[in-house]
Amino acid sequence: MEIDRLDGRKANQLRPLACSRNILNRAHGSASWTQGDTKVLVAVYGPKAGTKKNENPEKACIEVIWKPKSGQIGKSEREYEMIVKRTLQSICILNINPNTTTSVIVQVINDDGALLPCAINAACAALVDAGIPLKHLAVAICCCLADSGYIILDPTKLEEQSMKAYAYLVFPNSILSVRPEGSLKVQGEPMEHGVITSGTQGAMSVDDYLNCLERGRAATAKMSTVLRRNLQPQIASDLSKAG
Amino acid sequence: METRLANSFRLTVNEKKFIETALQSDLRIDGRRPFDFRNISIKFSREEGSAEVQLGQTHVMAFVTAQLTQPYKDRPNEGTLSMFTEFSPMADPSFEPGRPSEAAVELGRVIDRGLRESRAVDTESLCVLSGKSVWAVRVDLHILDNGGNLVDAANIAALAALLTFRRPECSLGGEDGQQVIVHPPEVREPLPLIIHHLPIAVTFAFFSNESTVVVDPTHYEEAVMGGRMTATLNANNDICAIQKAGGEGVLQSVIMQCLRIAGQKAYDITTKIKNAVESYNTERALRKIKRHPSAVALDISGAGVNIGKNQNKPLKGDSERSNLTSEKSVTDQSMDIEGEAKSSEQQQTNKIDGVSKNFIGGPSSWDPYSAGVNSDFLKASLASRGMTMPSRKEQGSRGENMSGEAKPVDPPEDINVSSSNIEAAETVLRTNGERTLQDAVKPKNKRKMKSSSTSER
Repeated sequence: MEIDRLDGRKANQLRPLACSRNILNRAHGSASWTQGDTKVLVAVYGPKAGTKKNENPEKACIEVIWKPKSGQIGKSEREYEMIVKRTLQSICILNINPNTTTSVIVQVINDDGALLPCAINAACAALVDAGIPLKHLAVAICCCLADSGYIILDPTKLEEQSMKAYAYLVFPNSILSVRPEGSLKVQGEPMEHGVITSGTQGAMSVDDYLNCLERGRAATAKMSTVLRRNLQPQIASDLSKAG
Repeated sequence: METRLANSFRLTVNEKKFIETALQSDLRIDGRRPFDFRNISIKFSREEGSAEVQLGQTHVMAFVTAQLTQPYKDRPNEGTLSMFTEFSPMADPSFEPGRPSEAAVELGRVIDRGLRESRAVDTESLCVLSGKSVWAVRVDLHILDNGGNLVDAANIAALAALLTFRRPECSLGGEDGQQVIVHPPEVREPLPLIIHHLPIAVTFAFFSNESTVVVDPTHYEEAVMGGRMTATLNANNDICAIQKAGGEGVLQSVIMQCLRIAGQKAYDITTKIKNAVESYNTERALRKIKRHPSAVALDISGAGVNIGKNQNKPLKGDSERSNLTSEKSVTDQSMDIEGEAKSSEQQQTNKIDGVSKNFIGGPSSWDPYSAGVNSDFLKASLASRGMTMPSRKEQGSRGENMSGEAKPVDPPEDINVSSSNIEAAETVLRTNGERTLQDAVKPKNKRKMKSSSTSER
């Protein structure tokens, strides 16, 4: 059954993506990610000495600060911080700079649905801009489940609120390999089939969730190409920002 | 403790000496003269009441929101204006999250004083029901990048956001006339705030040798300076506030000279802000005109042409979607969000594709975060699709005349309509006055028209 989306998109169609890097001058790395009307700006300050009290000093630590557009900072901001932190921890190589803290500051500029995936994509691009060593990139996507069992991707805020359930998923970005073996395989399955982070809201059946996973995975292929194109090194524009 | 030391910005002795020596010969390290401001760029986003200001490398965003609350007991007839300043840790490695630092509190107070004490924002007009219900306007300032002189940049951002903010109209109703009804923006046009004058903050930095004064210090100069003074003036040369908190002692004559210079700067900056707000308002009005049914005829025939284009890439599919949404945005004003989303999407696709092939509607679609579209190229591409250019221009001028009117008007007759289906769709879309849910649902005949025009190709 076809669902008519408010802005006329098809179920599998994403909003237009835009990513820009190196926006801020003081921050070591910065990126902004726009999905339709949702826009998030992330700044990264590279490894600083020392870790927090509860963190393991043998590894590098990532600190995430989430700044909402307006209003007080509350529990939901803390939750977002925790989710972004855990996601980034799994893609960063934490053994390289032990006993250091990398700060990731997320600023919400506009929220029109799929906020957390947008923030994770932006954080990934900002980490690359700052030159923090990563194992691989991550692409995040949000899927919504309608009452009829129909799945739509990349919902707007209105769609998110009216749907039965939604899930945001973060997949690892495929490694583009020059070796003839092709993509990396983990225990026989290609690496892209892994799931880094998954969060759901609302009740959905197991089959629906697996459908979401498949749709999300297919869509992230397109997002990966946008991300990769944007992160190609720009000639003579990446200046050292140690000051 | 170690981490804090590592975070703070320390200039070396050599750098300090270099800056000071250069200033003695009236040279600043970024090449400006002592009393030159950096480039100010003011951008607005689709949403009302949000402004982004760049003053050289300093980057500030302001968001304005309003809520109905109870007034203060000692001022039952006045609304409230409150400023919340966030020194985001992304602006400077030494900004810590959590409790606002001294500098953050001082910045908030200076801007607040400039607006409130000088009565720049009219708070009495924010009263809805005396003693019970008033509008509380809240300005959130986010400092994104600290390139020096945060006070001035934040002040400009706050003013720009307040000037473009629109609050919903509300009226009194209910049995005893005591109930406040807030009208949503689709029903009644939201109102701007009444702002009497614009208090502009101008910051001066004093250095230890021979009363050297500079305007608009960068963060390097701020690390070297001995004292600073912020003077808030408006374009009429009225002093709204002066803040000089400690620091170097300065001669009276120097202060007077600073105030004179501040007067000139305030005038310049006021004109800049007013121009930026004007152009934003005209864009906004044009966007509203675009929802006019007379513009629909053009869009539909455009839709017929564009469908035939290559739709393999999902991003290109935006063109099809955007054409249909432009029609829909005419029929239902509450779909304004979509209409605006369309324009931003078009700009985004332009960004990604690099060429604006699938553009509908004129230069009224805009997105401050991407490059502008060459309107000549647009008109040329539209003309090449067989649409008559003079009729378009005529529409544009007619659109300007009818700013603010929401009543639909007969479309001009000299537009060549290719198929009878399009005319049928026109009459469906030209609904009078009330818009119902019926209009929100995509009418079926549009889909038929689309399929028929694809079959034509």
